[in-house]
Amino acid sequence: MKPNRLKGKSTQELAALLHVKGRDQLLEKFVSLGLPDKKSEEYRYFDIEKLLDADYRTLDYIPKSLQEGKKIEIVDGVVTTAPKGLRIYYEQCDAMDMDHFDPLYYLGHILNPNVIKIEIDGDAELELVHRFTQSNALIAYRIVLLNQSNRHATLYERFEEDNIADTLVLYGYDMHIAQDSTLRVVKTQHMQKQRYAMVASHRINVSQRANALLKSFDLGGDLGLQMLKVNLESYAHVEAGHLLYLNHASRRGTVSKIIHQGEHSTSQQEAKNILDGNARGIFDALIKVEHSAKYTKAHQNSKAILLHEDAYMVSKPQLEIYIDELEASHGSTTGQLDEKQLFYLRSRGISYVEARKMLVIAFANTLIETVKDSRHQEQISALFEEAFYSAHKELS
Amino acid sequence: MSKVLQIKDLHAKIGNKEILKGLSLDLEAGKVHAIMGPNGAGKSTLSKAIVGHYDVEVTEGDILYKGKSIKEMEPEERALEGIFLSFQNPVEIPGVNNAYFLRTALNAKRKHEGKEELNAAEFLRAMKQHLQELGMKSDMISRSLNEGFSGGEKKRNEILQMLILEPDVIILDEIDSGLDIDALRAVSEGINKMKNGKRTFLVITHYSRILDYIEPDYIHVLKEGRIIKTAGAELVAKLEEEGYDAIEEAQ
Repeated sequence: MKPNRLKGKSTQELAALLHVKGRDQLLEKFVSLGLPDKKSEEYRYFDIEKLLDADYRTLDYIPKSLQEGKKIEIVDGVVTTAPKGLRIYYEQCDAMDMDHFDPLYYLGHILNPNVIKIEIDGDAELELVHRFTQSNALIAYRIVLLNQSNRHATLYERFEEDNIADTLVLYGYDMHIAQDSTLRVVKTQHMQKQRYAMVASHRINVSQRANALLKSFDLGGDLGLQMLKVNLESYAHVEAGHLLYLNHASRRGTVSKIIHQGEHSTSQQEAKNILDGNARGIFDALIKVEHSAKYTKAHQNSKAILLHEDAYMVSKPQLEIYIDELEASHGSTTGQLDEKQLFYLRSRGISYVEARKMLVIAFANTLIETVKDSRHQEQISALFEEAFYSAHKELS
Repeated sequence: MSKVLQIKDLHAKIGNKEILKGLSLDLEAGKVHAIMGPNGAGKSTLSKAIVGHYDVEVTEGDILYKGKSIKEMEPEERALEGIFLSFQNPVEIPGVNNAYFLRTALNAKRKHEGKEELNAAEFLRAMKQHLQELGMKSDMISRSLNEGFSGGEKKRNEILQMLILEPDVIILDEIDSGLDIDALRAVSEGINKMKNGKRTFLVITHYSRILDYIEPDYIHVLKEGRIIKTAGAELVAKLEEEGYDAIEEAQ
């Protein structure tokens, strides 16, 4: 299947082409947005056309009997393992966001109508591993994630792949964070060169007085984009942190829209980007404060360090505000490692590569240290070092 | 007389401006050499040239360390060979833990010397005594490197690095600047502890105050990019009394 063949098709033609029945509203929405190309605002800095022009094998997502394990494992879009007692099942998703900005959010729902639904009980701490084993495949699946009111749950998410090539993954969450609860999601993804590309299109609804803590640690190469749409009800809070460490000719980043709908809602978004080789980092983030969201607090900031003269950062923090009663700020800086600091470390016998690593980790640490669990924090630091050393080995 | 560092007809510039104009200087092993000179004479440029600072471009001449040219060496190679510069204004590095930095530097040196690297516990044990000697609080090594340190704390941290790295040639660039009497005494005691008859010191200073604590064997007067006079410690009094112009007139 070549996704680009869906371009310009009518609702009826799409339904016939993709064998979809009774989902007219979804198809209409996808048709109205159109398949993204390099002119699409959200995909302007990402090589989406190259990805959509490739010919992929499509997969059947046949549910398997679950094995019991400590983690949730989803292999090529099918749940294979889950902890005992966890409510995880498939169902046709009817509660979609019909106002999402990303056409691939809708395409994901069209290609795989059965979503994986996970209901987190109590103050659980879960680990989710996504695994990809198929080359030249289009893997599409979506997850609906629910938590309970007055509870504080955490989900650690990571990605593994076999020795595959040229696969495209379209996945994402529809997250419903219950009133007075906290959901913390920590995503770590170390992508290898040309194994798979990913567009992860999420929709997150943060109910009244709830907290969403969303941390992503994107390391390594290749193509990856996360599209976040966050709706904040009254007194809801989102804290989003994005760390990018990229090398090779990778294109990765975050395109986000955080929408303050309720009074006294707060958002704090911080991006730290470290770019090596001829990588391109993307931080295209809008915070919108609607008329209904009086007394909002909204802050966003992006900082980038370029380690190579060919590296490039696209940083677009934006505020769209319709009220006066609020507190808001945004900022963006791009620079290089401080020569004085680098020299100081080297003058003590620390090698150039090691000194750079120390400074880069120091820059990233403010985000890594927000991961409260020390085991996961150490894992992220170790992955970060691994990505750093492998990039230096290849660049030297 | 064994010469540990020989600077031969050194010309160096910063940007387009030539600062060192044919500077020659021999440092005798185990001795304390003091360089004195007016502002803009090239004292700091000399120290930067020796350690391979990126600001300084050596255009002519050579620097021999233990008989070998170090002109083309990277800064870290010079450090591993045993050259140490105590900075006038040590840079602050937020996010780099001081203990981690010190252990990384020490282990780089130990690895270079073919010794086993120290783990965190072994390192902290080794640190304890040095911290006491320098009157440093133990929490100073758990903070970010030099971040929020007072002038005195920064200088003490420089001396701490010197104590653990045990270099053969120590360059002290304006070590006394910004220090009160107590801090000056503590720093000087740390430096004097390093004297072992083999280690060589190059003390760069504007004022004679530090030389009351660290007794020099030789005084070199640097002016307009060249050494214009070398004498014993008695030259300090003359400089205090008559200034640098008098020295030039004596040439």
